Amino acid sequence: MQKFDKHVLKNGMVILGEPIEGVKSAAFDFMLPAGTSRLPQGASGAGQVVSDWIFRGAGDYDSKALNDAMDSLGLQRGCSLDNAHITIGAAMEHAKLDAAMGLYADVIRRPRLDEKQFEPARQLAIDGVKAMEDDPRQRVMVELRERFYPEPLGRNPIGRIDELEKLQPGNTALFVTQNFNPANIIVGVAGKYDFDKVCAKMEQLFADMEPAEQPDVQIEKPGPKYTHIPHDGAQVHIGLMTPTVRPDDENYYKVRLAVSVLSGGMSSRLFTEVREKRGLCYAVGASYHALKEAAGIACYAGTLPDSAQETADVILTEFDRLKEGISEAEMQRARAGLKSAMIMQGESSGSRAMAIGGDYYMLGRIRSIDEIREKVDSTTADDVVEFLRNNSFEDFTALTIGPKEIEIKR
Amino acid sequence: MEFKTHTLDNGLTVVGEINKAAKSAAVGFFVKTGARDETLDINGVSHFLEHMLFKGNDRYDAFEVSQAFDDMGAKFNAFTSEENTVYYAAVLPEYLEQAARLWMSLMRPSLRTDDFNIEKNVIKEEIAMYQDLPMFDVLDSCRNLHFDGHPCGNSVLGTVESIDGLTDQQMRQYFDRRYAPNNMALVVAGNVQWQKICAAADELCEKWQHMETERQITDASGSGKTKRKAKPNLVREHICLMSKAVSAQDPQKYAAVILANIIGDSRGSRYYWEIVDKALAETAVMEPDTMDGTGEFFTYIRCGEDKAEQVMTIVNKILKDIEQNGVTDAEIEKARNKILGAMVLKNELPMGRLLDLGLNWNYLGKYIPIDDDIQAIRQVTAGQVHELARQCNISRYTRYSVGPAEK
Repeated sequence: MQKFDKHVLKNGMVILGEPIEGVKSAAFDFMLPAGTSRLPQGASGAGQVVSDWIFRGAGDYDSKALNDAMDSLGLQRGCSLDNAHITIGAAMEHAKLDAAMGLYADVIRRPRLDEKQFEPARQLAIDGVKAMEDDPRQRVMVELRERFYPEPLGRNPIGRIDELEKLQPGNTALFVTQNFNPANIIVGVAGKYDFDKVCAKMEQLFADMEPAEQPDVQIEKPGPKYTHIPHDGAQVHIGLMTPTVRPDDENYYKVRLAVSVLSGGMSSRLFTEVREKRGLCYAVGASYHALKEAAGIACYAGTLPDSAQETADVILTEFDRLKEGISEAEMQRARAGLKSAMIMQGESSGSRAMAIGGDYYMLGRIRSIDEIREKVDSTTADDVVEFLRNNSFEDFTALTIGPKEIEIKR
Repeated sequence: MEFKTHTLDNGLTVVGEINKAAKSAAVGFFVKTGARDETLDINGVSHFLEHMLFKGNDRYDAFEVSQAFDDMGAKFNAFTSEENTVYYAAVLPEYLEQAARLWMSLMRPSLRTDDFNIEKNVIKEEIAMYQDLPMFDVLDSCRNLHFDGHPCGNSVLGTVESIDGLTDQQMRQYFDRRYAPNNMALVVAGNVQWQKICAAADELCEKWQHMETERQITDASGSGKTKRKAKPNLVREHICLMSKAVSAQDPQKYAAVILANIIGDSRGSRYYWEIVDKALAETAVMEPDTMDGTGEFFTYIRCGEDKAEQVMTIVNKILKDIEQNGVTDAEIEKARNKILGAMVLKNELPMGRLLDLGLNWNYLGKYIPIDDDIQAIRQVTAGQVHELARQCNISRYTRYSVGPAEK
């Protein structure tokens, strides 16, 4: 039986652990409840600025000294932003875990947020928005999620140039760091570690951090159904997204398996129908995407302009065709793909630290590999098909970027 | 960790690093062929073949190939570079032999004409996709300009024209020349049952014909030319610089890794503090690419068009300074820690080990244990790094930029 560690500080901060045998590495992630949904209207992008700014000096370290200290420990650093969290973390050789946690406590609790360092952090955030315009493949999905999820859930964490330009050092810091609320911080640790020592260290570093009340996020209506953004590139980049159940729903595994039938491997339906049989594109795929409040199945395809309409038509047909039946062989492959992806992910400390924190946030608990295995194995093709018949994919949000507009035929 | 090799009479070598504690296993074929082994009239054929191997043979059609991998829940794919074509799969240990047998079968494909014709469209879609990714576009264009006629400058994907012009017969002839058993290695890593893999190779690969294969190996110091391509749809300036580096066979390659880390790691490097930290560019990174008999350092910078010259002045200053004055011991220490930290993590995954094992085998014909790599990184001195920077003349580079057209 797989064992997970858990400890809760008095202020509510949750520390989770997953030991991994036979590794010399350890990793941790701090999920700070300061995601884009929590920012005031007109301040999107503030999270991006702050996630850079807090590393420009903290505690006794100025910017250079802090980065040098992290580099001396050989930290492989990660930072990601979504609607709910700014997640910062690192993977390292296990003996460095204690020292690394100390540095991250400085970053979270005592960032210097020096005004002189605000301007370069803001400028890099603006540059990031501009860079995305040169990467339509990434942009199409970011813009799609923004329209698919109701405001402010889909908000793009990269921000908008006009809003970034209006930010001031004082309010930017406040918008974000006031949400570094220990009552809602989740910390995941994975790899080779001693949980008693981790807890003692975390008590020492964070026990005196004051918890606060955080208001719930107010949700509004989603955006337009189809948007085309003209772009004089070589391809039309197509994004489609349709609503589905969240990870805490009893039908969750049916949906994950349906997505796996659609796009799990190279024998899956989208790859076979769009690329192998028709040669319509190089990249096509669908994936499940979830927030705590809502979830969807997102689909991407990049194609030459003359093939764009047919590509979109074939994809939508495949979504509809799922409910007409799934063979046992297809189902078996979908199960194998889903399970092996989940087990092989368990080999890396970094991805496990992230995964256990994510599970806990979404479900309030961590799923074991045995549980996932059992749920996947016990879901039949009939279960999936019956679910899809009662919940067919009617409603699509679509976005295209490229030289040619298409029609979404629903 | 245990290392094993097994060589068949026809020259195919099986290489394995066995780690019984691993939760997964990986298998791959490392074929010593890529764009540098092509002539311009068949440019893109190595990569085209990579796609064609997935189309199967008399035993499996294309769909059955995908099905067979998906049945095992395998993470499988392939990639083609200037000099290697690599096919791989990561699986749970109980499926390793099955995955290895499947790849052995696929290494002798039918190369059907119908599949060839439909795949031309997919390849042209892939070319279009990379045109929309300026970071790849600028790197590819810069490599071409830097090698300037040397075969390492050949495009991996080829061009729409070369793909249109390629015939199925040319592809088959190239296959026969390059996919000889003595020009590839079968590599396994992780939780492996070694005897079973060897027995499968003896059974399925022994009939493959040995062929004389060769590769033109000449060093290249690079053209040093400068060029810019304007594209009206772009917003940012994408700059690629290439200068000479050492080859994969040269023991100085460890110093090259440290040198590039000091100059252009994504954090804490000289580029980082002088350029990125000051928000003059959002990205400025440098990496070494050590290849068969040659090598290059490449720098990628993304910034505003208005900042490009200011950034380049700083880059020139950094490169000249290191060439003249070398690096500090503190910089060596920091780079070493970062590199070793990354190595520990990468080596915990069988897939990460597989790539090192296979590429080392193709380049050096021998096994390098992780501890030897770690030792070699630890032993690099500031003096060696300075000497390398001087010897490679890093401030002399080829420059290619892709950026917005005049408004």
